[in-house]
Amino acid sequence: MDTNMLTAHRAVSTGVRMAVHSAKTLKVTMVTGQDLIAKSGSMIAYDGYVQFEAPPATLRRSAEEMVTGEGGRLMLCRGDGDLYLADYGADVLVVHLADEALSVNGATLLACDATLQLAIEPVKGLAKLSGSGLTNLVIRGTGWVALVSRGIPTVLDCAERETYVDPDALVAWTTNLDMKARRTIKAGALIGRGSGEALQVGFKGQGFVVVQPSEDTGDRFKIRG
Amino acid sequence: MAREFQRGHKAKISDLTAGTDLYVGVQISGPGLTFDISCFGLDANEQLSDDRYFVFFNQPKTPEDAIQLLGAQAGDTESFRVTLDRIPAHIHKLSFTATIDGAGQMSQIAPGCIRIVAGGEEVARYAFSGAEFSTERAVMLGDFYLKDVWRFAAVGQGFDGGLDALLKNFGGEVAEEEPAVQQPQEAGAPGFAPPAQTAPAPSFGVPATPQTPQAPPPAPAFGAPNVPPQAPAPAPASAPGNPQMYTAPTAAGPMTPPAPAPAPFATQPPGPPAGPPGVPGQPFGGVQAPGPVPAEAGLRVVLTKYAEVAVGDRWTEQNPQQVRATLTKGQPILAKQGSMVAYQGDIDFAYKGSGLLGKLTGQLTGQGMSLMRCSGDGEVFLADEASRLFVIRLEGDQLYTSAHGVLAFDESLDTEIRRIEGAGLPGGGFFSMLFSGTGSVVVKTRGIPVVLPVGPATYVDGNAVIAWSAGAQAVTTTALRLRRSGYASSQSEAINLQFRGAPGNFVVVQPFEV
Repeated sequence: MDTNMLTAHRAVSTGVRMAVHSAKTLKVTMVTGQDLIAKSGSMIAYDGYVQFEAPPATLRRSAEEMVTGEGGRLMLCRGDGDLYLADYGADVLVVHLADEALSVNGATLLACDATLQLAIEPVKGLAKLSGSGLTNLVIRGTGWVALVSRGIPTVLDCAERETYVDPDALVAWTTNLDMKARRTIKAGALIGRGSGEALQVGFKGQGFVVVQPSEDTGDRFKIRG
Repeated sequence: MAREFQRGHKAKISDLTAGTDLYVGVQISGPGLTFDISCFGLDANEQLSDDRYFVFFNQPKTPEDAIQLLGAQAGDTESFRVTLDRIPAHIHKLSFTATIDGAGQMSQIAPGCIRIVAGGEEVARYAFSGAEFSTERAVMLGDFYLKDVWRFAAVGQGFDGGLDALLKNFGGEVAEEEPAVQQPQEAGAPGFAPPAQTAPAPSFGVPATPQTPQAPPPAPAFGAPNVPPQAPAPAPASAPGNPQMYTAPTAAGPMTPPAPAPAPFATQPPGPPAGPPGVPGQPFGGVQAPGPVPAEAGLRVVLTKYAEVAVGDRWTEQNPQQVRATLTKGQPILAKQGSMVAYQGDIDFAYKGSGLLGKLTGQLTGQGMSLMRCSGDGEVFLADEASRLFVIRLEGDQLYTSAHGVLAFDESLDTEIRRIEGAGLPGGGFFSMLFSGTGSVVVKTRGIPVVLPVGPATYVDGNAVIAWSAGAQAVTTTALRLRRSGYASSQSEAINLQFRGAPGNFVVVQPFEV
């Protein structure tokens, strides 16, 4: 069998905890004692002995606190081997936190080290936003985090200029930013003459925002075991 | 802040970095393959007229040291030092190439890249993978070329015949290649003698510490890059026999844990044990973190490859799926409603209706274009469902697009609705937008598009066509519709368009039917 076409896609050994295989698959090197929290149902393959469990009680409770649209359900993976995760072909972004904090939309978290602290926190300055965006998932500590982005993400530096982001395109941001909502909605929108851009989240300060090139409005099939 | 290049992208070096003392790294690997990476210094006719400017393993530098071969370092398979202001006047182009030594073809290579590093900071990167090639045995990766100023182009062009074909392409004579190769080696030997095979110029700071006595002070100092933190740094990715690689991909087979664990996992029962093999807090054999944590793995460093591109004009392709428009007062753009993902500065979004565009909305059922006007001072990032975006610049030209293929355009462009002639179509007809004038149109396609040259009989599906050049005349055709109606279940009335036109015209088709 001629498998030349496939050899380019062979999984390679990376030696790091998390690596991205061809932009859309996350490869996690699992070791006992270093558990992983992953989005429920995101496993596509594993190699070795890996177990999947419901998250521990505290985590589950906080997961249940998430509003719909914040992603919600997480699972705990433990064992030894290589674990491959993906989320409907979305681009995977791997970051390593070194005693830092990152605020993510619950739906964009693919996996993170269980040693990191996850907390549901209300988003400051956005109290007047209704619907999604009231609460967010803040990840703190030292360890690996993998996020998903629909399309190739862009990182915008908020220090140079105040940055406004469509809430649907927001993936993650550093926690020490000043946030505020900005309405660009006009009276014309009430009679069907809106610009399609009603509300943005403004960020200012030392830090950055990760933005995806898609507004994630598609009704994806979200039910998974 | 590395700028990501795609195949065919070009940029002035001065836009990438102020430095002229550059490090060029090539990362290329493949299972069982070895590569010769070389640099051709070409004259104005793109010929290798001076053999001394063929830098490769046998001739590691040019006479005045403008181009030096440095060997593998910092994760790169091969690296060069290029001092642009020392390149003699008759060299107009530096072409960086990789050829497979021995058997193999380029489709087998693992993802690699060519990158430019100035002052220890990566400023440009062109990533490629085996999927872009087929049976080629050589590939031109990137060029530095002199067009008023030095520029960099991501080439990614393969050659079937390997090094011979490359040499022929550059006017080198293969028959004379061997002597030509030998001579400079002998000639160059004295100057290069003392530590014959070790590092090049001792003053030249390889990896971390940038120190350049020769470099002009204002420019970033030359230095080979620090190991990029997102790269799988110390463990070579494809090293066979690497103990971190699982040799047996079955749970029951012998496995070596990725870190130095005392007991192989195979001594455990192959099935699921009674309890989890390790309780949290009792690490299995005291295993530490699998693999090294990158030395400076701050958030910011990891994310730099996604940072905003530094250079650009009014319309900039931030990445294949996102476009940045730099707005100035009085020059608004029109964009599809809701396509803004982020903006910086003071931008106002307003409904855009009326006129021809409003009529278009009514006429194209299901294909209506709802536009908004973005005006103000700042930068707007536009994207639409992760579609691939292309900025087409019109300079007095004309371009036809279908309504579903347009993401944004300069308001200064003239738009006009044209009806495509043909036999009676259900639903009133097929309309297209004609853009003319000077400005840019951002075209979006779902998936990677196909650009077809217009031949005597070019047919496309009206639901998949995105844009075509104004010289191509489109008429509707019914031939394929008759065939389609043979399917009892086929209710869709696909509009097929036939294009006719002079050579040089093109049609852009997306792999997705709206």
